[in-house]
Amino acid sequence: MIITNNLTKKYGEQTALDHLELEVKQGEIYCLLGANGAGKTTTINLLLGFIEPTSGSAFINQLNVQENPKETKRFLAYIPENLMLYPSLSAVENLDYFSGIAGKKLSDADLKGFLAEAGLQTDAFGMRISTFSKGMRQKVGIAIALAKDAKVLLLDEPTSGLDPKASNEFGLLLQKLRTKGVATLMATHDLFRAKEVGTHIGIMKDGSLRQQLVAEDISLSELEQAYLNTMEYKELVL
Amino acid sequence: MLSYNCKYELKLLLRSRWIQLLSIMLLLLFGFSIYNGLEKVEKRKRDITAAKEEVKENDAVMLKLLDSVEGGMEVSASPWTIPTSPMAVGNYHPRVAAMEPQSMAFIATGQADLFTHYVKPRVSGDDSALNFAEMTSPVQLLFGSFDLAFVIVYLLPLLIIAFSYDVLSAERESGSLRLLAAQPIRIQSWVLQKLGLRFFWLSILVIGSLTIIFFAVGLNPFTEMTGFLGLLGLIITYMLFWFALAFLINLWVGTSAKNAVALLGLWVVFVLLAPSMLNQLGNTLYPMPSRTLMINQMRDLKAEVTKKQDEILDNFLRDHPEYAINDTTQYRGFYHRYMASQKLVKEELAPVVDKFEGQLQKQQDWIGRFKWVSPAIIVQESLNQMAGTSTRDYENFRKQVVGFASDWRQHFMPFLYNNQDFSQKDYPNLPKFQFEQRSSASFGVIPVLLLIAIALFGLGFTVSRSSKKGNILTAN
Repeated sequence: MIITNNLTKKYGEQTALDHLELEVKQGEIYCLLGANGAGKTTTINLLLGFIEPTSGSAFINQLNVQENPKETKRFLAYIPENLMLYPSLSAVENLDYFSGIAGKKLSDADLKGFLAEAGLQTDAFGMRISTFSKGMRQKVGIAIALAKDAKVLLLDEPTSGLDPKASNEFGLLLQKLRTKGVATLMATHDLFRAKEVGTHIGIMKDGSLRQQLVAEDISLSELEQAYLNTMEYKELVL
Repeated sequence: MLSYNCKYELKLLLRSRWIQLLSIMLLLLFGFSIYNGLEKVEKRKRDITAAKEEVKENDAVMLKLLDSVEGGMEVSASPWTIPTSPMAVGNYHPRVAAMEPQSMAFIATGQADLFTHYVKPRVSGDDSALNFAEMTSPVQLLFGSFDLAFVIVYLLPLLIIAFSYDVLSAERESGSLRLLAAQPIRIQSWVLQKLGLRFFWLSILVIGSLTIIFFAVGLNPFTEMTGFLGLLGLIITYMLFWFALAFLINLWVGTSAKNAVALLGLWVVFVLLAPSMLNQLGNTLYPMPSRTLMINQMRDLKAEVTKKQDEILDNFLRDHPEYAINDTTQYRGFYHRYMASQKLVKEELAPVVDKFEGQLQKQQDWIGRFKWVSPAIIVQESLNQMAGTSTRDYENFRKQVVGFASDWRQHFMPFLYNNQDFSQKDYPNLPKFQFEQRSSASFGVIPVLLLIAIALFGLGFTVSRSSKKGNILTAN
């Protein structure tokens, strides 16, 4: 579903992403860990076609992102760190708008169904987004992905700023999408959530993917150690 | 995408109170400016009516005097004002040469606050002595007139700027642009649709507000259908030009603040700088000869001619033997000499007057050639033409008055040189002035403005397509 081949992005002399080789298959949740500036968001921006690679290529659902920017977006959904919807529209209206411009005409019942599936409380459907918490907005984001019938989900630090309960709910939603066969790539700083929801974990540093791990093969403390080792924070462990 | 943009753009505009605010502002601006325009037109009509009434009253007095004189009675009037003298009629009982306002005169003051709308050419006056300038308050000239043309040319672009400067940047700044850009749409097309919808709603509001105001002030737009539709066409294409600029700025510039500054800068250039620079350049390239110098030359010439009036009269009568033959008295007084010399003065002054008018024409031609640099100029000019208050309309009026003044003078010449008294039976034959309006304004500027707007939209698309992908998502 998601493949990158030697994907590289340079800004002048600075390398933001260095020959990234990555594959996320159907029903997998791949969590990208790394410090700020490690290249996680650059990877997502390249997969979204927001920026062009210096070299290499990225594929979504077997389509080259750079060659088919519009087509690839039909298969993917994206939830940024701060999902900004239209504050003066309700949850149903926002969902209707974003799925509508993506080419999905849905009935009112369908829209409400997707919002319910995303875990939003029924009494919030008609409320304006300006009254929503971040967790509620993220649920609308998931509903957009569900409504769009996305095959690929790109998440850029979606749980940052969420309280543990909301973060846990969000994790459960990702698991639900996984069972539907969605391939998810999530950039995060949250090791615990990565271990909880991820099937695969990659640790990035200075634009390159330093380690790739299978989530079920390691414990949280092993993941933490691997992360700190990669970040060369050994002295802090003591 | 279009149907969803249509549906939700209106909802967003209504919920942000933009539609309500714009409706109120347009109603107020259009209402006040049209009321102002109508007041000016009413004053103009009242002035003309008063002048005509004064002529009627004077004529009644004149006819009474003539009746008394013809009845052999004594009249208590100064001898030179008794209307049996053709010169007394020609000088003290002039006709009113009035420029009646056109039906759409209220939309643009144009040159109406600079030029007078009626003159009374006298038989002893010369063409250059006809005063067409209006005594106007300098304060009013400084600030201009708050008419519909002012609202359309100056204020409407500012409303459009406020309505459109941040269509893309607001999405970028709020963070929703990344979510939009992740959908299978082209952001350029999305911006175009958003601006297109705002243009559509603003057009509806403009048409609605104007129609309401027209009816409210007692004007029926359907009786002046061509003019009204032309006016709407002009406003809408002018609006489209400003929306096209907003499209370019939204795609090219960046933050909302920068967009606003860029659009306001363009407003200053197109609405304020371009017209005044064009005017200044016209004055520099084709400077007007001194009017004082011309008047001095005129006075010198008249003084010189006065010395030779006997000789001039002899030559004049030689050229017009019909006057010498028909008159048995052969009396030749002041007016005989004066009127004969007037012709010579006019001929001698022709080069000076021609130079003055020639330079004025060159200035106007210059502005006419380069008016296309700013849509504000062509729209203002078109509105003036629709209102019948353009420079050309007043020039047309001036020429007609000069022609009528000549007719008025010529009408009394046979009376004067044949020493024939003016009588009651001659009264109905006095020349009358009938103003002929220029053909109404052409709407040729509408397709031109449309083409300019389309070209700007095309330019926006072409350049944004060739620019780097990330530019739209990241503010410059």
